[in-house]
Amino acid sequence: MKISKKIVLIGHFGVGKSSLIRRFVENTFSEDYKVTIGVHVLKKEITIPKTNDDITLVIWDLEGNDDITNTRPSYLIGTSGFLYVFDMTRPTTYENLEFDLNYIKERYPNIPMKIIGNKKDLVTNDFIKQNKDVFGRFVDFYTSAKSGKNVEEVFYNLAQTLLKEAKK
Amino acid sequence: MLDQYKKTHSQSVNQYIIVDREGTIKESDDIIFPDLVGKNLSTIHPFFESIDEALQDTNKTHIFSCIHLTNPENETIITDIIVKTFDNKKLPLVIISDLTLHYNNYQTTAQVRNESVINSQILELKNEYLQEKEAFKNAFIANFSHELRDPLTGILTFSDILKKTNLNEEQLNYLKVMDSSSYYLKQLIEDILDISKIEAGKLELVIEPFNLRSLLEDIKNVFEVKAQQKGLTFSSDFNSNLPEIVGGDALRLRQVLSNLLENAIKFTEVGGVEFNVSLNQIRAQKASIHFQVKDTGIGIPEDKQEDIFTSFTQLNSPQTYQGAGLGLAISKFLVGLTHSKISVASKVGEGSTFSTNINFKVDPSYASIKPVVKETSSKPVSDKKYNILLVEDSEITQLSILKVLASKGNYFLDIVTKGEDVVPRIENSEFDLVLMDIKLPDAYGDEITQLIRKMPEREHKRVPVIALTARIFKDDLRRYKKAGINDVIKKPFDEQALMSKIEEYLK
Repeated sequence: MKISKKIVLIGHFGVGKSSLIRRFVENTFSEDYKVTIGVHVLKKEITIPKTNDDITLVIWDLEGNDDITNTRPSYLIGTSGFLYVFDMTRPTTYENLEFDLNYIKERYPNIPMKIIGNKKDLVTNDFIKQNKDVFGRFVDFYTSAKSGKNVEEVFYNLAQTLLKEAKK
Repeated sequence: MLDQYKKTHSQSVNQYIIVDREGTIKESDDIIFPDLVGKNLSTIHPFFESIDEALQDTNKTHIFSCIHLTNPENETIITDIIVKTFDNKKLPLVIISDLTLHYNNYQTTAQVRNESVINSQILELKNEYLQEKEAFKNAFIANFSHELRDPLTGILTFSDILKKTNLNEEQLNYLKVMDSSSYYLKQLIEDILDISKIEAGKLELVIEPFNLRSLLEDIKNVFEVKAQQKGLTFSSDFNSNLPEIVGGDALRLRQVLSNLLENAIKFTEVGGVEFNVSLNQIRAQKASIHFQVKDTGIGIPEDKQEDIFTSFTQLNSPQTYQGAGLGLAISKFLVGLTHSKISVASKVGEGSTFSTNINFKVDPSYASIKPVVKETSSKPVSDKKYNILLVEDSEITQLSILKVLASKGNYFLDIVTKGEDVVPRIENSEFDLVLMDIKLPDAYGDEITQLIRKMPEREHKRVPVIALTARIFKDDLRRYKKAGINDVIKKPFDEQALMSKIEEYLK
């Protein structure tokens, strides 16, 4: 059975949401920062290796917002999964992490969400250890859109979760 | 008229599409996307794959703003999309409005705003990082140089002791090399510490009255010998109308003048060095004094005359002359603290003249200050036996002081290594003087001194305390004074520095 799922990337501006999607869909990366306004929608069909299940991910790249409560609700209609992205090099992008995650969970309690600390290429493992009070509690994946580290893993992991949900 | 304007100016372009609940297109005006009837909405763009839920509603309007689509010409267009549902009998309506021009302007504004916010956050983080790095560097330099001071004190004092033993000429020559190397190392540590303090903005002057003439004579005596040793002439001229006692930082003045004279001798191979000091004027309780150091040395090219005041700059490459190139940078900064400048006039092959005008405080009350005459004799100050308590954890420094005092013959030295033992030891003995290390493993010397000053017995609490430390910046000295410390011997020290201070307080 071929299924299609909408996943939404949210987080502050400049954290690398568009770069993660571009790396995943096109396997490219650009150092130039281009602000996303509104929504870009891209699509990628993948096959989960273990189960051979096909899934089409319709990926919504939302414009970054430093206040999650300003996210337009229309963008989130029909969402099957969330990827919350923050930039590990800029504390302002994760200082309200707990609030942001609770905000989403309260409104979309049954929708899976993965938390991503991006720009891993710019921080050391020691830095991650030093911030384990924040990162350790919430983060599912440390990614680098620049190097590609863990980018596929994030999307495949969420896709697997969505497939499991669909089979229930 | 309006119709004419509408024809010549762009208008928003809207496409109206009627779809069934499964997204199959029933009607379309084909304004943006042509030939859609019979196809599914999702063939227009992946965006429409995700609006199934909206199509199932009844009597609702969903507005999706700023959605990026691709038109049939393969260009990106930015649109607002309205999905309007009605009751069960009427099919949903989808309106696509192309607002690319409007959103492109918004994109430009958002780009500028976001870049500015991100850049300021990055700048803030960089600043924090640099401050942490700076703090680490300063702590590292301070700790590292502190660790070097104790062994260097050992070398300096034992070198002095060794000189008094029966050495042959060859051994004495070796000792001279050791001596000059360790003094150079001492100077280098002090310069590095000064530079780190200057960079951290923590170097301040300590303004106190001092005897200017006596300081100038001291400096002259030292450099006269150095010049003679190198086969150079040395002349000095100190105006007779110079004020005797002035208010200023004697230590830093000595440092600046010594540095200028040291350089003059270092870079002169033939001829000599002049050291001239004159009074410009006295006005409003300030004496402006002109200092000049003139040499017949190698000179400095005109285009390099500013560079010599930069840290780690020595013009001779490969280095013919010893030195890290810190002295002039420090001197320039110190003179700058008095709101003055060091100027240089020089010709290559003919020599250089360094000069500066520095203001000193003059006050009628200074007249009552008696000049301190330093006792440099190696003989004991009297036949009396003195009890000295040394509070010091470094074994090298303990041994150095022990050997120096033992060689004098009239000192008994008691040593404690922990702060907690000091007060009980003073209670049970009678000391004439306490030599106090400032940084002990369990306490600070100034804190211990405070405890001494609070002891009940008069002879205990009034015992002179001399600190042994390299930390002699303005804040440190203020703290020591407040704690009741009488004076400071700067680490690393040699025999003369140690004995002159001890004898000063035992008279």
